[in-house]
Amino acid sequence: MNRVRSFFGKPYRWAAMYGGILALAFAFVLLDAFVIPKAQVRVESPPMTAQPEVSEHGDSAGYIAPDAATDHTEKEDDNNADVEENPPVAPVITDTFYEDENISISIETARKNGTTFYVADILLSDASYLKTALAKNVFGRNIKQTTTAMAEEHQAIFAVNGDYYGFRDTGYVLRNGVSYRDNGNGDALAIDGGGNFSVVREGSASMESLVDGGAWQVFSFGPALVLDGEIVVDSGSEVGKSKTSNPRTAIGQVGEFHYIIIVSDGRSKESQGLSLLELAEEFAVRNCSIAYNLDGGGSSTMVFNGRTINNPTDGRRAGEREVSDIVYIGYE
Amino acid sequence: MSTLDMNRPRPGRTALIYLLLSAVCIAVTNIYALFGHGVRSASMDYMFLYPLLMGAAPYLLLAVLLPRIRRRRFSRAAFNLYNSGIAALTTGAMLNGILEIAGTASTYQLLFVATGWIFVFIGFILLLIPEGKLKE
Repeated sequence: MNRVRSFFGKPYRWAAMYGGILALAFAFVLLDAFVIPKAQVRVESPPMTAQPEVSEHGDSAGYIAPDAATDHTEKEDDNNADVEENPPVAPVITDTFYEDENISISIETARKNGTTFYVADILLSDASYLKTALAKNVFGRNIKQTTTAMAEEHQAIFAVNGDYYGFRDTGYVLRNGVSYRDNGNGDALAIDGGGNFSVVREGSASMESLVDGGAWQVFSFGPALVLDGEIVVDSGSEVGKSKTSNPRTAIGQVGEFHYIIIVSDGRSKESQGLSLLELAEEFAVRNCSIAYNLDGGGSSTMVFNGRTINNPTDGRRAGEREVSDIVYIGYE
Repeated sequence: MSTLDMNRPRPGRTALIYLLLSAVCIAVTNIYALFGHGVRSASMDYMFLYPLLMGAAPYLLLAVLLPRIRRRRFSRAAFNLYNSGIAALTTGAMLNGILEIAGTASTYQLLFVATGWIFVFIGFILLLIPEGKLKE
């Protein structure tokens, strides 16, 4: 004990040691929060193999993957009689348009409020084509991939970033019917098996009750932009403590199997970014009954047929940020 | 942050160091805000208050208003712990600010807060128990 007292009795020894420990602890917490990957659950089966209740417009058996969707131009000799009777329709694909018998996507580029933004109008024949995926098919903190990489892996026709759940330890996470995280206290977007959106308050509605109620996907970011066709944010509304316009990603529903997804540029000389109110207005004029803000900033990315549509940037350097998850339209 | 010759406290000099540290905290906060895209954190905005109110102010009080106390002998551990507590609280506030601005959190933040207040408390208690008088 005396030796310890004697050691620390010398000037600055305690300060030097304590300062070193504090610096190491500081660095460790930052690495833990931002860098060190912590895989918790691997996605076991391919998503959307057993989606529950689907509307009368779709096949309630769940995911359907027509051959036409993966390679519409190729005809195989061993196709069955049904296919011969109803040959798959070749999709119409342009830089801003995709249409086949189940999926129709048109992308409009607009400019308002000093910002370029991209509006995807999506019509599906079945809710099962609205899908989600986790980076590297693993749930966990700091497990990341670019939206483009995930879209390619899942052969997505169209994809945007999700809620970046892996950057936080709270917020409901339900993907393809599997609950990964059930703590949180914000507004969550629930998408049921029929592809219908609703916004719920985490904590007030438990994850269990959401799953029992048919929720198939739950995102936790927010806030809700439009509810019952009314804008529910104002000029003072922001994400967390963000006070400026930003790149944004948001998703809305117009009607059954009809969705609008908007991604805006921002944090650049060309585009300042949209406020939540400006974003909500875009959904409202497109007749969305409900719209919800997903992760934005450097995460905002829209991918269409393997091509990045927007100009992702975190404000310091151009390029896609790696994120935890995507929302996509596709067959795989 | 432990910069005193504890048995011969020089509270005036320590107060000045804490004032400088407060200024550094304000500078760091404002430089960090330049890269935050308008996002700010109250935790970081007010972290300068720890060295200012818990460091500079009491040491200044010690130096100016209470000369009798200055002549008392204090344990080095008391000052070490008290200063270390302020360091932990300030570092914790900065860390909290960085995480808040990024939109995330860490359970480890609590360790900084807990360590800081425990050190401040123990250090303060030890300061109340002087080891004797310094030779004039």
